[in-house]
Amino acid sequence: MDNRITLVGNYGSMLPETQTSSNNYLIKQLPVPMAFVNTKFKIIHASDKWVTDFDFSNRDVIGMSLFELFEDISKSWKKDLNSIIKGKAMLSGVENFYDSQNNEKWFEWVNVPWYDERENIIGVIIQSKDITDTIFDDIKLEKLEVLLKDKSKISKIGSWEYDAIKDRLTWCKITKKLHEVAEGFEPDMESGISFYKEGYSRNTIAMAVDNAMTKGVTWNETLQLITAKGKEISVIATGKPVFKNDKFLGMIGTFQDITDEVMNKAKTEEQERIFSSIFNSSYQFTGILDTEGTFLEINETALQFSGLKQEAIVKRKFWDAYWWPIPDMVKEGLKQVIAAAARGEFMRSEIVVLDKNKQPIPVDFSLKPIHNENGKVVSLLAEGRMIKEMVEARQKLKISEQKFRSLYELSPIAYILSDFETGEILDFNSSFEKATAYGKGDMEHLRYPDLVPDSSKHKLINFLKEVDLKGTYGPFQHLFSRKDGTTYPVLISGSLVGNKKGRKLLWSTAQDISEVKKKEKQIRGEQKLLKTLIDNLPLNVYIKDLESRKVLVNKSEIIYCGFKEEAEVLGKNDFDFYDEKSALISREEDLSVMNSLKPILGKETISVKKDGSLIRFMTSKIPLIGPDGKASGLIGISMDISDLKQQEQELRDLINVTSIQNKQLINFAHIVSHNLRSHTANFSMLLEFLVDEKDANEQANLIKMLTEASDNLLETLDNLNEVVAISTNLNLDKKPVNLNEKVAAAEKNLAAFLKKNKAKIINKIPDETYIKVIPAYIDSILMNFITNAVKYKDDNRNPIIKLTVSKNEKYTILSIEDNGLGIDLNKYGEKLFGMYKTFHDNSDARGIGLYITKNQIEAMNGKVMACSEVNKGTTFNIYFNDKT
Amino acid sequence: MTKLKSIAIIDDDPITVFGVKRMLNTLGVSENIRSYVNGKEAIDDFKSIMNNKGVIPEVIFLDINMPIMDGWQFLEEFIKLPITHKIRINILTSSIDPADKENWRYYMTRTHHIIDYKNKPIQKKEIEEITRAA
Repeated sequence: MDNRITLVGNYGSMLPETQTSSNNYLIKQLPVPMAFVNTKFKIIHASDKWVTDFDFSNRDVIGMSLFELFEDISKSWKKDLNSIIKGKAMLSGVENFYDSQNNEKWFEWVNVPWYDERENIIGVIIQSKDITDTIFDDIKLEKLEVLLKDKSKISKIGSWEYDAIKDRLTWCKITKKLHEVAEGFEPDMESGISFYKEGYSRNTIAMAVDNAMTKGVTWNETLQLITAKGKEISVIATGKPVFKNDKFLGMIGTFQDITDEVMNKAKTEEQERIFSSIFNSSYQFTGILDTEGTFLEINETALQFSGLKQEAIVKRKFWDAYWWPIPDMVKEGLKQVIAAAARGEFMRSEIVVLDKNKQPIPVDFSLKPIHNENGKVVSLLAEGRMIKEMVEARQKLKISEQKFRSLYELSPIAYILSDFETGEILDFNSSFEKATAYGKGDMEHLRYPDLVPDSSKHKLINFLKEVDLKGTYGPFQHLFSRKDGTTYPVLISGSLVGNKKGRKLLWSTAQDISEVKKKEKQIRGEQKLLKTLIDNLPLNVYIKDLESRKVLVNKSEIIYCGFKEEAEVLGKNDFDFYDEKSALISREEDLSVMNSLKPILGKETISVKKDGSLIRFMTSKIPLIGPDGKASGLIGISMDISDLKQQEQELRDLINVTSIQNKQLINFAHIVSHNLRSHTANFSMLLEFLVDEKDANEQANLIKMLTEASDNLLETLDNLNEVVAISTNLNLDKKPVNLNEKVAAAEKNLAAFLKKNKAKIINKIPDETYIKVIPAYIDSILMNFITNAVKYKDDNRNPIIKLTVSKNEKYTILSIEDNGLGIDLNKYGEKLFGMYKTFHDNSDARGIGLYITKNQIEAMNGKVMACSEVNKGTTFNIYFNDKT
Repeated sequence: MTKLKSIAIIDDDPITVFGVKRMLNTLGVSENIRSYVNGKEAIDDFKSIMNNKGVIPEVIFLDINMPIMDGWQFLEEFIKLPITHKIRINILTSSIDPADKENWRYYMTRTHHIIDYKNKPIQKKEIEEITRAA
C-alpha cells in the first residue's frame, strides 16, 4: 500500500485521458494485476496479470464496464469505487470469487484515485493480489495445530471443518465413526448440532457456535452426543473460528470420545460410595489397620460405641484404644495377633471390651489380612461383632420357640402341617389328635384331603386354589372327618410357607366349632322363643333409645301404631303417633326414667292419637342401664286398658243403677209396709173402739170407718199390684209404634174429660214419628201426663197441652208442656216421682200416677225429666230409648 | 192430771185423727184438741196464733207422710218459731223406715222441744204417758 504514491507518481501525470498504445502496452506488461477504470467504471487499461487473475483471458476487456465483467459485483465494491471517485484517498479489502472452473479464488485489493495532470480524478486504479494459496495454507496450518494439540489417543480424536463461504461442513473418518454414521454421510451445520444430546449439550454447542461466528470465541466443552445408532457418548468438543482480515471464513474443530473415562470415573465414585456406606452402616465395629497395627480408618458404629471422634483413633495404635480392659496384658496379646495377621493369618477370638460406660461387652473379634495383587499383606481388616445381642437373640428365639411349641401342643385349635403339592401330612398337634382320634402313627397314610368328608371335598379344592393364589385362605366354616368317619364342624384357615428346600408346605388350623354351633343354635332358639313370646304378648312392648325413638317393637305395638311392618315404626317417636300434648308428657316420663333410673310401673295414662282417638294405657317404663351405669334407653310395656276402663265405667254405672234401684226397692218396701201398717193400725184401733162401744150410733160410725179402712187397704193393694206388675213385666217386648196414633187414642179416651175441663191439645208431633215401646205402657203414660196436666190446671185459664218431639243420638224425646199450676221443684223435686207423694190440695191426688209412669218409662230403658215454674206450667220430657 | 190448754193432731188420715181424738177425750186431758191434714195447715195456723198472742198447743201429735208438707218439713219450720217454752211433739207413724228414726234423732238435737217417736197403732196407755206438758 505504500506504493500508492509511486503508482500515481509514475503514471498519473503521464497518462492522458485516452490511452496511448505505448501506455497501454506498458501497463499490459505490469507483473502486478492492475486495472484502470474511468468514472463510468469502464476499463481503460488492464495488465495481463489482472486479466488472467480474473480469468478474462479470452475476452477483450478494454472498454468494458466492470459491471459487465463482474455480473454479481457487490454493492460494497460499487460504493467503494464511488467513494474513491468522490475523493477518498485509498480503500482496500479482501474479496473472493469463483472462476470459470468454479474454483474459489481469494484476492486482496487496493483502490486509489486516478488523477490527470491537473490533479483531477478521472477514474480508479484497481490493484489486486491473488491470495488464494496463502489463505488455504493458513487454514491448513491451523488445522494441523489443533490436531497436534491433543497428544494421546489420537485415534479417538476426529476433526471437522466448516467452510462458511461454501457453507459446507466436513467430517473426517474418525468423526464419522464417532457419530456412527456411514462414510458417505454428508453433515451440515444443522444436522451436526442435532447430534448433541437435547438439553444442556445442544444448548451449549449452539451458543458456542454463535459466539464463535460473531465474537470469534473458541470452545472446549465436555458434552454428550447421541450417535446415529442411539448410543450416548461423552465427547470433548472443540471449535475455533477462522477469520482473515476480519472476514469469517469458517470453523475448524475436533471431537474426542471420552465415554469410557467418564464411565470409569462414575463407577469408581459409586464403588467408593457403596463401600463407605457399608463400612459405616454395618452393625459391627470395623477398622482398617496397617500391618504395624496403626488405625487407618474406623467405621461409625465403632465410633458411636466408643464415644470417640475419628481423629482420636486414626493414626494411633490399635492396642492403645481405651476399650481393652486390662491394658498391659491385652496389649501384648494384641500385638502378637496383629503380627500374625500381618503374616497373612486370619485371626479370630471372643474377647471382652468395655463400652463408654465401662460396661464389659462380649465381642466376636476377627482380624483379616488384606492382600494386594501381588499377594502381599498391605493392611488388616479388624472386625468386632457384639455377641451380647446375638446371645440374647438366640435366647429369645429359644424362648419363643418353646412358647410356640407349648402353644402348638396345648392350643385347643388343631394345627396341621402338610405338603401342599402331595397332600402328605407332616405334623399335627395333640389338639388335632384329640379331635379326630388320629395318632402320630396314622400320619404316614394320611393325606390332607382325607381330613374332609367326601361330600365337601369340592369346597376344599376351592380353598386350595385360593391358598395357591393368595398364600392364605380362610377362615371358612367346613367339616372335618374323624378317624371313625364321623364329622364335626370346624373353622379352618391356612397359609402357605416354603421350606429351605423349596418345598411348598401348608400350615392349616382347624378350630372345632361344634360347641359354638350348638350354642348358636341354642341362642337362635332362645331368641326365637323370646321373639315369639314378645310378639304374642297381649301387651305393647317397645324399646326406646335416649332420644325416645323406638328401636324395637313387638307385633302388638306395630299393630297399635297402625302399621304392618316393624320398619315402619322403628326410628319414630311418640310425636309421630300422638298429639303434641300426649307426646310431650310421654317424653317427660321417658326422661325422668332415664335420668333417675327409677322405673315407672303400672301407671295409668291417657294418650290422644293423631286421629283424635283416646287411648287409656297401663304403662310401665323400665330404664335400660348400660355398662357405664347410665341409661341407654328404656323398655316400655303398655297395655291398652281403654276397654277395661270402659267396662269399669259401665260396671260402675250399673252399680249406681242397681244401688239406686235397691234404694228404690227399700223405699218401696217401706212405703208398702207403711201403707199396710197404717191400714192395719187403723183396723186394730177401730176394732178396739168397737169392742168397748156401747152406743149404737157410735158403733155404726165405727163400722162405717172400718169399711172405709178396708176400701183403702184394697186400693193400696191394687196400687201395689200395678207397681209390681211393671217391675215384673220387664221382659215385655218393645215394638215400634206410631206416636201420633197413640196420642190420638189417648185423646179419644179422654175426650169427655178434656171437654169438661175446656182443655186443648196442640199436637206438633210429626206423623212419621215411631218409638220403640211396650204399647200398653205408652197408653198409660200418655193418659197419665195428659190427665195430670188437666187435673193440676190453673183455675184462671183453660188448660193447653202442647206435644212436641225431638231426637238425639239415643232417644226420641216427647215433650208435654202445660200451662197449669206448676210445682216448686226446689221444694218437691225429690219427691215429684215418689210413691204416695202429693203436692196439691186436690182431693183426688193419690200420689201414685207419676210413680207408676216413671217406673213404666224406666222399664223401657227410658227416663223422664221435669221442669216447672209455679203458676206458669210444667214440661215433662220423656226419653224413649231407640236402641234398647 | 193437769189439763192441757190445747193439743194438736197433724195427720192426713182421718181415721187416725178420729182415733187419737177419741182416746184423748176419754182421758180428758184437754178441752181444746185441733187437727190439721198436713204440716202446712198446722204451721200456718200456729203462726197466726202467735201473731194473735194466742197459745200454741202444748202437745202435738205429728204424722210423717203427708201431702204438701210432711212431718219433717213441718218440724223444720216449727223449730224456727220463736217459742221459748218446751212443746211436746209426738211423732206418730206407721213407718218402720230406719231413715225416719234417724231424722227424729237429728231433730231432737236441734231443738229444746221434746220430740218423741211412736209407731201406730198407739195404745190408750201410751197416749196417757206422752200427753203431758213438757
